[in-house]
Amino acid sequence: MEKGLTVRRIVISGVLGAIAILLGVTRLGYIPVPTAAGNATIMHIPAVIGGIMEGWPVGMVIGLIFGVSSFLNATVPLFKDPLVAILPRLFIGVFAYLTYVGLRRVNPYFAIGAAGFIGSASNTILVLGMAVLRGYMTFGVAVGVAITNGLPEAVVSVIVTLAVVASWMNLGTRKKSKLSDDNAAGDK
Amino acid sequence: MASSFELTRNITVGQYLPTGSIIHRLDPRCKLAAFVILILGIAFCGTYGSNVLALILCTALFPLARIPIRYGLSGVKPAIPFILILAILQLLFYGKGFGTGGQTYFHYGFVTITSDSLRLVVVSAMRFVEVIFLSSVLTLSTSTTELTHGMEHLLMPLRKVGFPVHAFALIITIAVRFVPTFALEMEKMMKAQASRGAEFGTGSWWRIVQRTKDMFPIIIPLFNVALKRAEDLILAMEARCYTPTDERTTYKRYHASAKDVFAVVTSLVIVAVLFAIPV
Repeated sequence: MEKGLTVRRIVISGVLGAIAILLGVTRLGYIPVPTAAGNATIMHIPAVIGGIMEGWPVGMVIGLIFGVSSFLNATVPLFKDPLVAILPRLFIGVFAYLTYVGLRRVNPYFAIGAAGFIGSASNTILVLGMAVLRGYMTFGVAVGVAITNGLPEAVVSVIVTLAVVASWMNLGTRKKSKLSDDNAAGDK
Repeated sequence: MASSFELTRNITVGQYLPTGSIIHRLDPRCKLAAFVILILGIAFCGTYGSNVLALILCTALFPLARIPIRYGLSGVKPAIPFILILAILQLLFYGKGFGTGGQTYFHYGFVTITSDSLRLVVVSAMRFVEVIFLSSVLTLSTSTTELTHGMEHLLMPLRKVGFPVHAFALIITIAVRFVPTFALEMEKMMKAQASRGAEFGTGSWWRIVQRTKDMFPIIIPLFNVALKRAEDLILAMEARCYTPTDERTTYKRYHASAKDVFAVVTSLVIVAVLFAIPV
């Protein structure tokens, strides 16, 4: 894979970051789950998709955008703490990318689904872990939230990631600009 | 019902209130630095006294920037029920796990209220209001262009370690630029689906699975539209030979004056005072 940020990576990060912001400000990115921590979220999915499509730096940048936007939009004090809202989100795309790369030789569709699951799970675990460390929740409460919020998040994440990435990969061979894209053929 | 389709109305990203106050006229680099220092300071100080002082200072920013305080309050208002519920839950259950230190005020069965857990609740609620006030003053007094320029300049030292500062600023610009565009696309798709009989947000709130399933016909096409637009933009940029790694100049140059430096120094002093308050 080529190093550094190509035009493709910059634009994909920006566009998926825009979706993360949009899902946050329109409240469409929240699944209403009645628990102590408020709503489950699907706003981490752009980070997962970016990580799978263009590698971990893109996933990390989208995670940063998601983190900052959730920090600024937050309605609960828990997410008004930058250590909880921003730092854990950086790793969503990274873990999704690693899962995808590790498994894509087995079966690309399985790898995409697994990356969707791991990306979502890393969001849940890291955010709640940080919340426990910073003293907003007890360990027991965090485990409860992980089950009630984390599981639906992971299921939605797998479905959306699979649908979007699979359709993008099939479309990609014909419609993509290949001027600066060195990894278009290599990634297949 | 019609209002639920108007997504663009809720979007306040990039909302800017040009009043030309002293805060508006600050150099964006220094303004951003000062706000980041203040937000980090607030996030880490955990005493009553320091949070009362921070709250007063954050409120004072509104008249200084000549922004009506209702802009800040409108960010706090929808959060009040969440804050109350969370505060009650924290108060009831945290005494046992975390705030075990300090004095015990109340103990009955599994409910323990200690001075530490009480402080955690009060401080996190105040911190929340302070951060909302700060971030609304910052975004209302700075245009998005100024913000990205300021950020790009502040991150410049990171270039030494190979961080692509310019590319990063471009990513943020693209993201902010595309939010309203995608909101319009999403509105179009929701109307298209609704005119074919789809239902959004009309299911009962306890039918979580149903309500989640309702979102799929919107979310998945949204990603596809976004990626298609991304392809167009990539082609357009490459056709104009855009190279992200090149050295480039900017149309606007900023010059920090004494008052800009003063703003940064003031914020540092404030944070130092916040940490120095013992109770």
